[in-house]
Amino acid sequence: MPSRGSLHEPDLALHVEDLTVAYQSKPVLWDVDLDVPPGVMAAIVGPNGAGKSTLIKTVLGLVKPTAGHVTLFGRPYKAQRRRVGYVPQRSSVDWDFPTTALDVVTMGLYGRLGWLRRPGRRERAEAEHALSLVGMQDYAQRQISQLSGGQQQRVFLARALVQQADVYFLDEPMAGVDATTERAIVEILHRLRDGGKTLIVVHHDLQTVRTYFDWMLLLNVRVVAQGPVRDVYTAENLRKAYGGQIALIEREALAGGEARP
Amino acid sequence: MLTLLQDYTIQTVAMGAAMLGVISGVLGSFAVLRKQSLLGDTLSHAALPGICLGFVVAGGRELGSILVGALVTGALAALLMLLLTRNSRLKTDAGLGIGLSVFFAIGVVLLSAIQGSGNASQGGLESFLFGQAAAILRGDLWIMGGITLAALGLVVAFWKEFKLVSFDPVFAASIGLPVVALEVLLTVMIALAVVVGLQMVGVVLMAAMVIAPAVAARQWTRRLEGMVALAAAIGMAGGVFGAVVSALGRGLATGPLIILAVSAVVLVSLLVAPGRGLLWEAVRRWRLRGQLEGQQVLTTLYGLAAHHRDPAYPSEQGSVDAFHGTGTRAALAKLQRRGLVRPARHAPEFTRHWTLTPAGIAEAERILGAMGREAS
Repeated sequence: MPSRGSLHEPDLALHVEDLTVAYQSKPVLWDVDLDVPPGVMAAIVGPNGAGKSTLIKTVLGLVKPTAGHVTLFGRPYKAQRRRVGYVPQRSSVDWDFPTTALDVVTMGLYGRLGWLRRPGRRERAEAEHALSLVGMQDYAQRQISQLSGGQQQRVFLARALVQQADVYFLDEPMAGVDATTERAIVEILHRLRDGGKTLIVVHHDLQTVRTYFDWMLLLNVRVVAQGPVRDVYTAENLRKAYGGQIALIEREALAGGEARP
Repeated sequence: MLTLLQDYTIQTVAMGAAMLGVISGVLGSFAVLRKQSLLGDTLSHAALPGICLGFVVAGGRELGSILVGALVTGALAALLMLLLTRNSRLKTDAGLGIGLSVFFAIGVVLLSAIQGSGNASQGGLESFLFGQAAAILRGDLWIMGGITLAALGLVVAFWKEFKLVSFDPVFAASIGLPVVALEVLLTVMIALAVVVGLQMVGVVLMAAMVIAPAVAARQWTRRLEGMVALAAAIGMAGGVFGAVVSALGRGLATGPLIILAVSAVVLVSLLVAPGRGLLWEAVRRWRLRGQLEGQQVLTTLYGLAAHHRDPAYPSEQGSVDAFHGTGTRAALAKLQRRGLVRPARHAPEFTRHWTLTPAGIAEAERILGAMGREAS
């Protein structure tokens, strides 16, 4: 893994500088500096309200920052859109929308298709392939409201896969899914990373950070720590990030591999 | 009937109503899916001040300027609402509600001012409140048709963009779609649909015309394409139905008849649409309950047999009843039909007894096993 110091901006998958974001007058992110080298699977971890989702949304231009700037491989997001894949939180959409799993995956190709062009046979094949990568090929024509939470999450992941990106941003992809789906998702993400892609994942489960990820950002409005997981994942850093919830964190951080309830 | 359909006025009204049904069905689908059903209501009520202003500017009841006025104030209300909810803590429904009443109040004040001014040509302006289909002229159809075609053209051209913005606006923004512009375009087009419907159903009932066909269509289909097409068809059918019935029963108001027709379709759709209808839901629940009852009775028999260490243990029906606190005869009869239990005699007693068949034992073990898996 390359060390941070040896990289210049253009070589960084993600470079965030002096980023401050405020809703109304309350700061959600304060003076965030962040560098993520390419080819890592990075977790964004922090307590509720730490600004994890906001960070991703700001990087993707969905939230306007008060100050600071963001580059992906040395250039602003607008110029790099085609190299970015995005998996929003599953709960951010209404799954009763009248459409099929295959159609949702095809939406990942709309950016490449451009205006006035319709998805054709090629796009359909690509979407079907992505569905099979997440093990959902048998559900292509299924109405999305009839899918389980885990299946819906896989459909969202497949939609990001067809984007054929270099950097993927995922917002809580493991939230509310069953153990089988979680394993399947992690496996897919690892395969992407091993293929040289960069993954930046908002993650809520401290206990699995060390097994799933190799890079980590501890966030609580400000950056608490960032770097390789083995350097960042320390009881002291976690205490700094989670503050009041020390008791809970210490048990998790120090006992570590304890089985989940 | 045939002569009726050849009647020039009725033809005009029916064609206008059909166009209104198509445009409001298509655009209403997007409004309903974007959870903006109330938007149509606000847009139509906010059209009233524009109608009055258009009348004042043109100096008479001239449709062109009246519709432009309606479009302008309708769109103004929608944009104001958008600004308010984006920049304050006001929730969308509250914003729409306030916009609706304020603009409607202004409209009514203007209406009464015009009526009080003694303008000779003011007649019929209040017909825009509830619509007056018979007042539609052949020439008006060109305006309505033009608006409808333009809206349909836009929906076809930006189909995938509108779909994505309605389903997942956050993702749409991430791939670079101008989400706000697309949402404004959809809103303006709904304002156009409202404008088309003003003469026909009026500002008060127009909201139902936008919402009802879409809600009914949603019940029957799993694809956006199907929903939009069906909503257009339902809107069109309701429109023509209203026009024809009002012509048959002289003096019945066309607009309200159209609304009643599409609302009837909504009611039927909510009740009987396969998969989503309330009736199917009730049937499914009833069946599930029967199934559960059967499973419970079966496992009770299994438990009794296990307790007595006798797979063929005959349980008395009365004791099973007592155990469940309800009559189990129907459930037992059903189990018998499935070959899971059979009636048995228990020597000195004459009451009905039941024992499990081998298939029944296997089924009971399957049920208990499944429950055990879920519990762990």
